[in-house]
Amino acid sequence: MTSPYRPEFEAALRLFARVSEAMVARGLSRPVLVGGAAAEYYSGSALMTGDFDICTPWGRALDEELQRADFVRPTGTGQLSRGWIHPDLRLGLEIVASIPMDGNVDADHVLLVEDVGDGASFAIIAVEDLIADRMGQYASGTASDRLDQAQILFALHPAVDRDYLDRRIRQETAGEYGVEALKD
Amino acid sequence: MASKHSKTDIAPDWTGPRVDFARFSAELAARRAALGNPELPRNAGQNRTASKKALLKAITAAGGKW
Repeated sequence: MTSPYRPEFEAALRLFARVSEAMVARGLSRPVLVGGAAAEYYSGSALMTGDFDICTPWGRALDEELQRADFVRPTGTGQLSRGWIHPDLRLGLEIVASIPMDGNVDADHVLLVEDVGDGASFAIIAVEDLIADRMGQYASGTASDRLDQAQILFALHPAVDRDYLDRRIRQETAGEYGVEALKD
Repeated sequence: MASKHSKTDIAPDWTGPRVDFARFSAELAARRAALGNPELPRNAGQNRTASKKALLKAITAAGGKW
């Protein structure tokens, strides 16, 4: 199989999928992958800086499952972090919110990525919401590089739900931009 | 991009859209190649929280080179 991903990123996805299955086995919802790692998943670019940003309303249960999966709390300067580290994969993971994007995403668009390894699956923010998030950061004036990210993601995923994408971009940019901003 | 077909033996709890990892990876690789393998620019990182900065330092200290 041709893979667009770094081997260490694929290993991190497999580990995240295993932890996600453990949450389901407890009768809890799957954590949702957001942020830079989600952008790497949808782009194949070596983008993320070593940490997964995760949303879950079940923080305590996820903490327990991360410990079972050999994650540890950082020591030294890292102890100021709320995150976790997997010593073997040198992967960080941080719960950044209970729900993605302050609850503005349509839960029906959250994607399940199936059979990542050993039949395990994980949930990830929709590419439409990820693009809208990049556009929101761009519109805020604090991250000019996010427009390029949004445009490339859009080019890589021509089958997006354009109505939903347009609505979400307008929502995240207070109406300043719509889907037409992605066509350079 | 999402699959219309559900595998009931995998994640029977899930009611939303699904995609097979291998299929998605292959399609993304093909699409990247067709577009000349575009690379997203890395985040400049000026908006990181203190917690995030500390976590990234810890990853680096652990030998992580992402």
